[in-house]
Amino acid sequence: MSPLVVVAVLAFGAIGALARFGTTLLLARFTRFPFAVLIVNVVGAAFGGCLLGLSARASISAEWHLILLTGLAGGLTTFSTWSVETVQLVERGRWRTALSSVVLNLVLGIAAAAIGYLVTR
Amino acid sequence: MAGWREAAAVAAGGVVGTGIRLTLDTVIPHTDTTFPVSTLLINIVGSFLLGLLVSTLWKRPGFPSWAKAGLGAGTIGSFTTFSAFAVSLVAEVHNGLIVLAIVYFVLTMVLGFAAAAVGIRIGGRARNDRDTVDE
Repeated sequence: MSPLVVVAVLAFGAIGALARFGTTLLLARFTRFPFAVLIVNVVGAAFGGCLLGLSARASISAEWHLILLTGLAGGLTTFSTWSVETVQLVERGRWRTALSSVVLNLVLGIAAAAIGYLVTR
Repeated sequence: MAGWREAAAVAAGGVVGTGIRLTLDTVIPHTDTTFPVSTLLINIVGSFLLGLLVSTLWKRPGFPSWAKAGLGAGTIGSFTTFSAFAVSLVAEVHNGLIVLAIVYFVLTMVLGFAAAAVGIRIGGRARNDRDTVDE
């Protein structure tokens, strides 16, 4: 792994984090449902699935795969905010919202990754 | 209101969180057909740490919003990942490794969410103890 690739992975991680932060700020005003995490996770998973498909038919170099998957998609998506927010929702008695958030992230996120892969491979 | 300071903290945290994840992925490498140990550990540790933060530092009056953005959304948010989790599951299923995918899925969900709950609980207890000492 060349130093330039490492720098690119970190820079794209920061861009992903900023996009996630911006999405959170934008949506927090409109809804109490954790939509921001759902959106970044589904978009990031779809993008990751596409990269997996492109790698499978060698349409993308290993370096760009690392930069875009580990950097951009990894920085954009999050597991910790999803898990912590869910526990907090349960603590506040908002069981239905907590369950919806878990199920929607899993179903839409994994489906998005699978579709991204199947379309691009 | 979030300004340039919050954005800068998130970007800096994004570099740190992504850097630690990249390091762990390099030290404990995995392919599309082997168990993603690094991603599992990352999502468990990150959930625990964020749980700890939201129940301790976040509750402190006057804790700066830029520090919260940098540590939470920036560092730990970028450290943990959902895309790697979803992509690994798809790759494993596509390679016929159904048992591996199920074990990885169950361990991530059970241990990741339990770690978040434990972090929140421990942080809440530590805060209560400190408050009692302060009185």
